[in-house]
Amino acid sequence: MLSALILIPLVGSAVVGFYPDSKGKISRNLAFFCAIAVLLINLYIGWNFDTENTGFQFAEYIPWVEWLGLDYNLGIDGLSFPLVCLNSLLTLIAIFVTDKNISRPRFYYSMLLLLSAGAVGAFLAKDLLLFFLFYELEIIPLYFLIAIWGGKRRGYAAMKFLLYTAFSGILVLASFLGLAWLSGANSFAYETLKLHDLSLTSQLLLLAPLIVGVFIKIPIFPFHTWLPDAHVEAPTPISVLLAGVLLKLGTYALLRFGLGLYLHAWVEVAPWMAILAGISALYGASCAIAQKDMKKVVAYSSIAHMAYILLGASATTRLSVTACVFQMVSHGLISALLFLLVGVVYKKTGTRDVDSLRGLLNPEKGLPVTGGLMILGVMASSGLPGMVGFISEFLIFRGAFPIFPIPTLLCLVGTGLTAVYFLLVINKVFFGRLTDNLDSLPSVKWVEHVPAFALLFLIIAFGLQPNWVIDLSEVQAIALLTGG
Amino acid sequence: MAEFFLETVWIVPFYGFMGAILTLPWSLGTIRRTGPRPAAYINILMTLVAFIHGTIAFNAIWTEQTHQLGFQWLSVADLSLKLTVELSPVSLGALELVTGISLLVQLYALGYMEKDWSMARFFGLMGFFEASLSGIALSDSLLLTYGLLELLTLSTYLLVGFWYAQPLVVTAARDAFLTKRVGDIAILMGMVAISAYGADLDFSDLREWVSSHPFNSVGAALVGLSLIAGPTGKCAQFPFNLWLDEAMEGPNPAGILRNSIVVSAGGYVLIKLQPVFTLSPVSSDVLIVLGTVTVIGTSLMAIAQIDIKRALSHSTSSYMGLVFIAVGLGQVDIAFLLLFTHAIAKALLFMSAGSIILTTSNQNLTEMGGLWSRMPATTIAFIVGSAGLTSLAPLGMFWTFHRWFNGSWNVDWRLLGIVMFANVLSAINLTRLFRIIFLGKPQAKTRRAPEVPWSMAVPMVALSAFTLVAPLASINWPLWLSPNIPISPENASNVTQFATPLLILSGVLGCVIGSLINVRQAWARSSKVYVRFVQDLLAYDFYVEKLYEVTIVAAVSSLSKVTSWIDRYIVDGAVNLVSLATIFSGNALKYNVTGQSQFYLLTILLAVSVLLWSILNGQWSTVTNYWSSLIS
Repeated sequence: MLSALILIPLVGSAVVGFYPDSKGKISRNLAFFCAIAVLLINLYIGWNFDTENTGFQFAEYIPWVEWLGLDYNLGIDGLSFPLVCLNSLLTLIAIFVTDKNISRPRFYYSMLLLLSAGAVGAFLAKDLLLFFLFYELEIIPLYFLIAIWGGKRRGYAAMKFLLYTAFSGILVLASFLGLAWLSGANSFAYETLKLHDLSLTSQLLLLAPLIVGVFIKIPIFPFHTWLPDAHVEAPTPISVLLAGVLLKLGTYALLRFGLGLYLHAWVEVAPWMAILAGISALYGASCAIAQKDMKKVVAYSSIAHMAYILLGASATTRLSVTACVFQMVSHGLISALLFLLVGVVYKKTGTRDVDSLRGLLNPEKGLPVTGGLMILGVMASSGLPGMVGFISEFLIFRGAFPIFPIPTLLCLVGTGLTAVYFLLVINKVFFGRLTDNLDSLPSVKWVEHVPAFALLFLIIAFGLQPNWVIDLSEVQAIALLTGG
Repeated sequence: MAEFFLETVWIVPFYGFMGAILTLPWSLGTIRRTGPRPAAYINILMTLVAFIHGTIAFNAIWTEQTHQLGFQWLSVADLSLKLTVELSPVSLGALELVTGISLLVQLYALGYMEKDWSMARFFGLMGFFEASLSGIALSDSLLLTYGLLELLTLSTYLLVGFWYAQPLVVTAARDAFLTKRVGDIAILMGMVAISAYGADLDFSDLREWVSSHPFNSVGAALVGLSLIAGPTGKCAQFPFNLWLDEAMEGPNPAGILRNSIVVSAGGYVLIKLQPVFTLSPVSSDVLIVLGTVTVIGTSLMAIAQIDIKRALSHSTSSYMGLVFIAVGLGQVDIAFLLLFTHAIAKALLFMSAGSIILTTSNQNLTEMGGLWSRMPATTIAFIVGSAGLTSLAPLGMFWTFHRWFNGSWNVDWRLLGIVMFANVLSAINLTRLFRIIFLGKPQAKTRRAPEVPWSMAVPMVALSAFTLVAPLASINWPLWLSPNIPISPENASNVTQFATPLLILSGVLGCVIGSLINVRQAWARSSKVYVRFVQDLLAYDFYVEKLYEVTIVAAVSSLSKVTSWIDRYIVDGAVNLVSLATIFSGNALKYNVTGQSQFYLLTILLAVSVLLWSILNGQWSTVTNYWSSLIS
C-alpha cells in the first residue's frame, strides 16, 4: 500500500515525461489523476490507521543491497502520516494552480510528480540510507523547477538551493554512515539503529552534522539565505510545495533521527538549540518587516515559524514534541495559503512590490475576495484563535515554557511581530485607494479560489478541532521521548 | 422552559456568528439584485433572537445557583484544555447589556449606514463583533476569553478599516490592531506561564489556584503585569490609549459599540483576572498608577479636542481609568457598576454625536451651533447621556460613585480627589460640548439640519429612557463580590461623610466652569506662547504619538532594517564570498592543467612523498590515534 504512494507519482512522472503531448492538456490530466489517486490512498490509510500503535504500520520490506545494509523498508506512523497527507494535498493544489499554458508542460508535470514522490519516499523510509536517497532525489526536480520556470534570477537561486541542500545531504549522510559504523550494525534499518548504545561523546559527534544538515533544510538562522531567494524565484505552485512540504523534511528528520536516535546527546545540546530557535524566530520576523517583496515577507515568516518547531523539539516535553508535528501541519497549510494568494496577486497585477500596489480590496475593480482571504490567511499566521496557527503555537509554547522560559518568550515576541509585518503588507497592498495603473485588473474566477478556500477550510477546521491531527501523532511523538 | 433557555444560553454568541455568515452572499457581492438591505435585516433578526434568548435566561438565573458549563476541548499529553461558560447573574447581565446595546446600535446603523454601498459587509462585521462580545460576557475560561478578545481585535481592525480607501483610516486600523495585539501577546505570555504553573485557566478556579501559587515575588509581579497589559490595550489606558482616539475614523455605529461595550470587555476581563493581581502588590499598584495617569491625562486631553467624537472617546479612556483603579483596590463590584453605567451613558452620547455628524456631515465642533431647536431628540439624548455620565443628577454615575464612597470598605482621600477631578473635567467637557453644539447661533453647516429619521431616533430615545432607569442597578447591586473589610469605628475615615456632597459639588463646579468659559475663544489658537503650548500639549494628546514614534516604532523599524542589512550583506555575503572564493581558486588552479605530463608527475611525487614521510615518521599514527581517542 505504501509503495503505491511512491510508485504512482514515480510511474506517473515517467509516463508524463515520455508521452507525446505538445499542448500539455494530457500531461496535466495525468498528473492530476496521479495526485488524486495518491490522496485517495491516503484516505484509505487514514481510515485503517491505528492511533494507539507506537510502532510503524503498513510496513513493507524487500531486501535490496544486502552487503551495504540498504533495504527497501517502508512504514508509516503518526509522525509521518500527517506530513504524507499534507504532501499529497499540496501536490494536488500545486497542479491545480499551475498555469494551463505553461511552457514545456511534459517536463514540468513530470518533475512535479517526481518531487512529490521524493518527498513521500523520504517520509515513509524506515531505512536511513533509503531516506537519504529520497532526500537527495527530491532536490533534482526542484532544481529544474526553479531553474526553468523561475523568475529573473532563477539560475542564481536554483544553484544556491542546489548547493545548500546538497551540502545538507552530505552532512546527514555523514551522520548516518557514522552511526552505522560506530554502532557496528550491519544494516541501516531505523529500528535496529535505534537500539545502539553509543557513548555520549560519539552521539554528540554524530548529532552535530545531522543538526547542521537539517538546519540548512528547515532553515534555521544562519543557514537560511537560500530560502528567500528560492521562494522569490520559484513559480507559485513550487513555492507552495517548498514551504508546505519540503521544509518539513528538515523538521521531520530533526525529530525522527535527531531526537529519535540520539536522545542523550540531544538533551545536552537542547538549551543551545532553544536559544537558536529564539534568535531565528526574531531574526526572521525582523527581516520580514523590512522586505518590500510580498513573497519575501512570507518566506522570512516561514523562517520565523519553523523556528518554533525547533523550540518545541528541543524542549522535549511530551506536549511540545506532539505540538511540533501539529505545527508542521499548521505551517504547511498556512504558508501554502499565503503563497497561493501572493501568487494570485502577482498573476493579476504583475508585481509583488508592496510600494507599487494599493487598494486591491476595491470591490469592483480590485481583488476583493483575494484580499479577504489574504486577511484571514495573515490572521491565521499571526495566531488568531479559532485557526490552526494559534493552537499549534500555543501548545508548543506551553510545552516549552517550563523548560526554556526565555527562548519561549522570545518566540512569543516573534508571533507578535508576525502581525506587524503582515499588517504592513495588508495595509499597503489592500487598503487605500486603488491606483490608476491597476485600474483594469483581470477578474479572478471563483474556480481559481477553490484551493485557497479548501486550505482555509482546513485551517479553521483544525483550529476548532485540533484533536483530529493531534490524536494521529500523539502516541508516536511521545514514544520518541521514551525510546519506545 | 426557562430552564432550557438557561442551559442553552451558550448558543447566544453563535447567533451573531450565524448572522455574520448569512450575510456573506451580500457582502461578497454574489447577490446584488436585492441591494444590501436583506443582510442588515438578517443580522438585526439574529440579534433580536439573541436578545430574547438572553432575556429569558437572565430572568431564570435569579432562582438558580451560579454554575459553569464546561466542554472538554482538547486533551494532549499532560495538558487538558476546557472551554467553560459561567451562568451567573453577572455574566448573563453582561450578555443582556451586550445584546441589548448591539440591537439598538444595529437599528441605529440601519439609518446611519443607509446609503453606504457596502452596508452588508458592515452588518456582517457587527454580527461578528457582537458574537465575540457576548462570548466574552459568558466565558469563564481565560483561553476562551483570549480567543474571543483576539476575534474582537480582528473585527475592530476590520470595522475601523471599513472605509479602507481613506489614508487616515488605514493608519487608524493598523494602530488599533497593533496596539491591542501588543496587549494580547502579553496576555498570551501570562496565560502560558500560569498554565505552566498548574492553573487550569478557569476564572472561577483562579482564586483557589492563587492561594497555592508557586511563584516567587518577581514571577508573580511579571505574571500580573503581563495579564494587565491586555486590558490596558483594550480599555485604551496610557500608554496604549491612542488607538481609540484614532479609531474614530471608522463608521459611527461601530464607534458606539467600541466606546461603550468593547472597552468594557477589557475591563470585564480585568475584573475576572483580579485574583491574579492579588499575588503581588506590584500588579495592584501598577493598576492604580496606570488608572490614575490615564484619568488625569485623558480628562485633560478630552477638553482640548475640537472633534466631537474624539472629545468623547478620550473621556471613555478616563472612565476606564477609574475601573482600573477600582480593580487595583480590589473593589470589584464598583468596577462592574462603573462599566455598566459608563457603557449605557456613553453609548447614548455616541448615538447623539452620530446623529449630529450624519445630519451636518461634519464633526468639527468649531462649525457647529444652535442645533437644539432643530434636533430635539438628539439634544435630549445628549443631555440624558451627560447626566448619566457625570455625578450631578441622581443618575447612574452619581449612584455608582455614591456606592463607592459609602460602601463597606475604607476609601482614601486621594481616591476621592481623583474621582472628583475626573468628574469636574468630565462635566466641563460635556457642558462645553453642549454649548458649542446645541446652543449659540447656527452656522453654515447646522442651519438646515433636520432631526434624524425614525430608525435612528427610536433607538436613541429608547436608550435615553433606559439611561434614566439604569440607576436602579447601581442602587440595588448587592456588592457580593468584593472582599469586604467591615468598617468599624476605629478604622472609619471621615471621607464617607463628605464624599457625596463633595462629588455633587464637583459636578456643579464643572458645569459652572463649562458654562462660564468663553468656548469660542478658549479653543481658538492663542497668541500667547504659554497658552498655545498648553493647548497643543493637550490637543496633541501629550505628544504620546511622538513618543511612540521615537521609541517603539523607531526601535522596531531600525532593528528590522539592520537585520535585513546584516542578512543581505553579512550572512548572505559570507555565503557569496565562499562561492566567489571557490570560483576564484578554481580559476586560478585551472592554469595547473597544462597538459604537460612532467608537471603531473611532479605533483604526484610531491604528494606521495609527503604521505610517505608522515607514515615513516610516525606522524600518521598520531592522526589516527587522535581520531580514535576522540570517537571512543
